[in-house]
Amino acid sequence: MDITLLIILCALVTFIPRVIPAIFMERLNFSPKFEKFLNLIPYTALAALICPGVLTVDPDLWYIGLIGAVIAGGLAWKKVPLGAIVIITVIVLIAVYLMVPFLPVLI
Amino acid sequence: MGIGYAALAIKAGLTPFETVSMSVLIYAGAGQIMIATMLAQGATLFNIVLTSFVLNFRYFVMNTCIYNKVDDASLSVRIPSSHLAVDEAFAMFMLMEESSIWTYIGLAGIAWLSWIFGAIIGVIVLNVLPIIVANSFNISLYALFVALLVPAVKESKELAILVVITAILNVVLQFFIGNWSLIIAILLGALIGMYTVDDDTVLGDAYKTGDDNCSNEEVQ
Repeated sequence: MDITLLIILCALVTFIPRVIPAIFMERLNFSPKFEKFLNLIPYTALAALICPGVLTVDPDLWYIGLIGAVIAGGLAWKKVPLGAIVIITVIVLIAVYLMVPFLPVLI
Repeated sequence: MGIGYAALAIKAGLTPFETVSMSVLIYAGAGQIMIATMLAQGATLFNIVLTSFVLNFRYFVMNTCIYNKVDDASLSVRIPSSHLAVDEAFAMFMLMEESSIWTYIGLAGIAWLSWIFGAIIGVIVLNVLPIIVANSFNISLYALFVALLVPAVKESKELAILVVITAILNVVLQFFIGNWSLIIAILLGALIGMYTVDDDTVLGDAYKTGDDNCSNEEVQ
């Protein structure tokens, strides 16, 4: 695939929706139903990105992603700040990776 | 966060230059991660571009709100600044008292630069990092996704159910339509959500609606 073309096209389809409201300042009204549909997209997109992708982050150890997701989920539930969640998860996962050779049962 | 994206992009076979270019030119957190993921899975160019369009179309709604709020922007400022729209900057600006375009540009510009900077750091350090650290950063993106979803899901049971339905849809559809499942699951999920999720849940704070779209008087 031509990566340069891909980047240009993706940049265009991202920029065009961004710039249209900036040019046409007059209020663009959507029906509340359509607006609701648009607002739901980030949530459904996150859901679809996480599952099943999280299980294949490391193709050799499917449960690594799952452990990360559970830790992050638990911390977010406890209202830990976003940055801290990411850092703690990374640290725990590095520890898990270091332990993997001693956990043959799991593999 | 930019580091995690860089890890994913490099792993998908992008060069460091392409990886950073995407952060500069496309500038869409989840959108870029999706591009890298789909590339790694061997999706077609058309499929990736279309999915990007759908996933990033929300910036249309955000910028509609932002440019309705600002009161001191000429066209020559509005057009380039529209590129800076992302979820975090949008949410912050809409909740602020301040309505100057320059406040927004300062806020959103820093977010943009730090995203680019993250990608640069990412492509540099990934070359020297041991593989397990790189892999752990890779997963940090998923940690971020989960951390973004959990607070919303905690607030609303309907939204939690919708998230699970969308995930299942995506998994099941993959057996039938391969890489197209992502975009179809996203759209079908949002469509189902229109009828199952409470209005207040999705049209909250920054998006306050009614007949008067996201006017700043309603946002405290």
